[in-house]
Amino acid sequence: MTEAGELGWWGVLFAIFAGAIRVSTPYLLVSLGETITEKSGRTNLGLEGTLVLGAMCAFATSVITGSPWLGVLAAGVAGASLGLLHALICNLPRVNDIAVGIALFLLGVGLAFYFGKPFIEPRATMLTGISLGFWSDHPAIRSGLEVNPLFFLGLLLAIFLQWSLINTKWGLYLRMAGESEDAARAVGRSVQSVRTYATVFGGFISGLGGASLSLFYPGNWNEGLSSGQGLMAIALVIFARWNPVRCFYASLLFGGASAIGPALQSVGINQGYYLINAAPYVFTLGLLIYSSSASYRLAGAPSELSLSR
Amino acid sequence: MLDLRSQEWLEPFLLSVGALIVALLLFGAFMMLQGIPPLELYSALYIGSFGTRISIENSLTLAAPILLAALCTLIAARVGLLVMGGEGAIVLGGLGAVLVGVALPLSSPLLGSLLCLLAGALFGGLWIAMAGGLKRVRGVNETISTLLLNYIAIAILNHLISGPIRDFSQTLKAQSWSIPSYFMMPNIPGWSVHWGILIGILVCVLLHVLLRHTTFGFSMDVVGGNNRAAQMAGLPITSIVVISCFLGGAAAGLAGAIEVVAVHGAASESLVVGFGYTGILVAFLARQKPLAVIFFALLMGGIAASGGLLQRRFDVPYAATAVLQGMIFLCVLASSALSGRILPERKSK
Amino acid sequence: MTVLPPPTIELRNISKQFGTVRALDAVSARFQSGRVHALLGENGAGKSTLVKCLLGYYRADAGETIVDGRRVAISHPAEAHALGLGMVYQHFTLVPQMTVAENFVLGRGKIPLVVKWKDEQDQLRSFMAGMPFRLDPQRKVSTLAAGEKQKLEILKQLYLGRRFLVLDEPTSVLTPAEADEVLGEMRNLANASKLTVVLITHKFREVEQFAQDVTVLRGGKLAGSVDQKDASKETLATMMFGGGTAEKSRVAKPAAVADGVPYLKIHELIADGDRGTPVLNGVSIDVRPGEIVGVAGVSGNGQKELVEVLAGQRATTSGSILVDRQAFSGTRSEIKRAGVALISEEPLANSAVRTLSVMENLALRQFDEKPLSLAKFFLNRSRLAPFARDLIQRYKVRASSPFVRLDTLSGGNVQRVVLARELSRDVKLLIVQNPCFGLDASAATNIRQQIVDARDRGAAVLLVSEDLDEILEISDRILVLSEGTVSFETSRANAEVYEIGRHMAGAHAA
Repeated sequence: MTEAGELGWWGVLFAIFAGAIRVSTPYLLVSLGETITEKSGRTNLGLEGTLVLGAMCAFATSVITGSPWLGVLAAGVAGASLGLLHALICNLPRVNDIAVGIALFLLGVGLAFYFGKPFIEPRATMLTGISLGFWSDHPAIRSGLEVNPLFFLGLLLAIFLQWSLINTKWGLYLRMAGESEDAARAVGRSVQSVRTYATVFGGFISGLGGASLSLFYPGNWNEGLSSGQGLMAIALVIFARWNPVRCFYASLLFGGASAIGPALQSVGINQGYYLINAAPYVFTLGLLIYSSSASYRLAGAPSELSLSR
Repeated sequence: MLDLRSQEWLEPFLLSVGALIVALLLFGAFMMLQGIPPLELYSALYIGSFGTRISIENSLTLAAPILLAALCTLIAARVGLLVMGGEGAIVLGGLGAVLVGVALPLSSPLLGSLLCLLAGALFGGLWIAMAGGLKRVRGVNETISTLLLNYIAIAILNHLISGPIRDFSQTLKAQSWSIPSYFMMPNIPGWSVHWGILIGILVCVLLHVLLRHTTFGFSMDVVGGNNRAAQMAGLPITSIVVISCFLGGAAAGLAGAIEVVAVHGAASESLVVGFGYTGILVAFLARQKPLAVIFFALLMGGIAASGGLLQRRFDVPYAATAVLQGMIFLCVLASSALSGRILPERKSK
Repeated sequence: MTVLPPPTIELRNISKQFGTVRALDAVSARFQSGRVHALLGENGAGKSTLVKCLLGYYRADAGETIVDGRRVAISHPAEAHALGLGMVYQHFTLVPQMTVAENFVLGRGKIPLVVKWKDEQDQLRSFMAGMPFRLDPQRKVSTLAAGEKQKLEILKQLYLGRRFLVLDEPTSVLTPAEADEVLGEMRNLANASKLTVVLITHKFREVEQFAQDVTVLRGGKLAGSVDQKDASKETLATMMFGGGTAEKSRVAKPAAVADGVPYLKIHELIADGDRGTPVLNGVSIDVRPGEIVGVAGVSGNGQKELVEVLAGQRATTSGSILVDRQAFSGTRSEIKRAGVALISEEPLANSAVRTLSVMENLALRQFDEKPLSLAKFFLNRSRLAPFARDLIQRYKVRASSPFVRLDTLSGGNVQRVVLARELSRDVKLLIVQNPCFGLDASAATNIRQQIVDARDRGAAVLLVSEDLDEILEISDRILVLSEGTVSFETSRANAEVYEIGRHMAGAHAA
């Protein structure tokens, strides 16, 4: 984190910008996953667990096979499995989807720490960044613009999902399941199966966010790798009003907020290190307070969603 | 045919115990896959939790904060809120106890401990009341806000113990100034267990009376059962929700204060060991019944206490107990699908 | 395109049992191709069950279905659809947050993986060009009026090629004029031999105006099947209600002239709806002691929100509510001082707690008063059961004990619990909203009688109802709420159905 040192205060701004891109990837992937799940009318609050388990699986797979992309796949599969578990339990009658999410949060983190113990030491092959800084001679700028390939994947996915929600069969079914259970039943669609697919798919995408943590930035595996990013991403969905492309912008904003601490540290400001690192949480809470309302439904919220009352 | 009033608690209790058993079987299978014989596993779980006097003492010591943290989720659940903020309230409670303990110019040990505990309860209570207020005034989802508050509380703790209230004479780990040693809570005579568990049980009983035998408890059930009916009845919902959240946060804050006053003597990362999350699990196991919390908190205290033995005997990571807790949680939630189907309910046509 | 006439369907000896209830007992009916057939009966007479057996939602225990002379076994709605049979539901099956076009496409069995919206919309427009009513494919369904939604439901069925349509109480949410338009078009389509129509209804007026054949069900049995031309109102009523004439004839006597100071005075009330946009746009209503003021209107014009404001369930933007000349915001002390009672629709959703016992629900208004409470703080649980038993007996609630959960009771009994709770006190202001939704005729009569009794004891009554017949039956004054304002007022003596209906339709008038 020395890149900004030589560039002075401009460097801090640049570091926040570069940091925003770097840090935003897990936010982006988790929030896209959650958007799809919530569009179907269910909330999976367990994505923090998904993120951590995904990170562990990606790292371990990369260590064992030497292929980071196999690691990415493993992270997706781990996330999809937790999603499937969520969906199957929520398909039972009288089960609260939010509580199941909390249980999966604990289980996912527990499993990740349990199986991840032997992988804290070894080094894994990382994902190679895509260099956007080739035009500059400045090493700080060059390294700051080594962009995570999963960031581009997330961007493409956001655009694709946005288009799919309107223009494909699956998008229509997904929205119908989230907007009106009665209507879905009337045309003979099983809401439960749509929600199951949506939760599994959402889990897969969110799991990729974990791979981004352990295989690109910060690029290691330990028990403190994620502290609440998965959760913040869920709050971000509310702010983005369940819209994939807005999730992308919101993720950049969140990434920027999270990058403030490290950026300031890079120019030697260490006062209140812990407090500045808490900025994203406070920021998230602030956005949540701003986007919510006590008197009417959240704008854009799927009608069947228990989260939005 | 059973008395309807006993059905009200018997069925939920049976469901939770059943879920626990299923989860233990699943955990046995999970460990068997890694070559650990189930019988040895269960015997280690038993010995580590309730098999010896020392393990019983450990279990009781761990059960105290779990029990109080469970009440945080439980009380809020009675007014229909899903509060996950026990962990943060514990941290705030611990900080409150330290701040008051350090600042008080008092020489009376009993009064000193009591004021530390009260300060912890107050800090924790206000912390969660904030989430309740945000829910009512701005409609902020309380589950997400309390989880975020957990992270914020931990950041505040880390900030304070890394500088402003750091005891620099402790070099091994960052911790706060210590409260005077004569404010420390003694053990129950004859046991190496502090009074926390008895305080916790007393709080459960008081809470039972509040919920069951006061008009406030009745109002809480109306608010939790149907907000619109509560509005129609003209109940002051915002006050009821905020007070309930305060009471829940106060219970968890008390847990943090007890950890400081009875165990650590100072605030440090040792307050952040997952009692809050285990408490959530206990609240779900007890299905919103304060008296059942006592039983399930003791069980979960036992499981937490046996973690060390599992680790040593089978050379598995400490997180094994976290896996077990996650399994129990999922089984308990899944078991709600069976509610109303275990015991015949008398239907009136 | 259509060469063949629409289907003729015959049902023979259909029986269906639900648990111990015999919902249908060997019912036969014949729906002739290209005719409008009314299926008449009270709530619970078996009308819906019969058509659901026909359409494969239920499987009949016995009996056979003959379509165009061929015996068929329909065990799933999809099989009915394949035969061109469709149903327009009482409760809309549209997705409100999606567009008309999206709803059309979703109704289709097969959707291509990628939907070409331009082609779809062109296709829809050309389809609608040949239809009696038209809708903009790009409008969001939530912005449509009730009548337009009903038309959309029907268009959807026709678009899907259904040539035998069952309409389940289609006019329950329409103004009389909208109802006439929709049913008139259905009749035209039938006359043109494009459609066979089965109209489920309990309104004689619709039968007389639009049906050609009538089948009457009573208590799950066939009560008669006649040509509409040969059936007088009296014969139909006899078939529908059995021997005696309808209980409806017992109409409330109008109140002695109510004058003096309004007990409830709503002035220029403005409030937002669930989506944050204004739904009440300056409502002013006065209700005097001893009168029933009926508020008529098509659902969705602010009735729900008006009641919610009075129940303390919705915040207001501006305006005032005075009860007994004092500001009223729905706090517990105000409710007690002013003697306010409220009977809402769907009590389990709006005014009772399903997870609590019958006894606790009965105590909701009085749990903090003597004798149920000690010093306002402690709850005297031992007094709850005797208190509840007394009310259960007086209001004839069928509950096995005061301790059972409220949601184990039937809908009618839940409503009785609420009535007992609200009316057993000294009521000075009674607010009532669709009190008889989903109840059978005798339960409805009973509830209306209790409302009238409360008025006769001097209460001011505000009756908000979507059932115009109910309003005409017991109100002393009638107001129409349209698009969030009171658009019309008349006394009961001068009430004229079409005039009221015209104002109910408001800006949506045909």
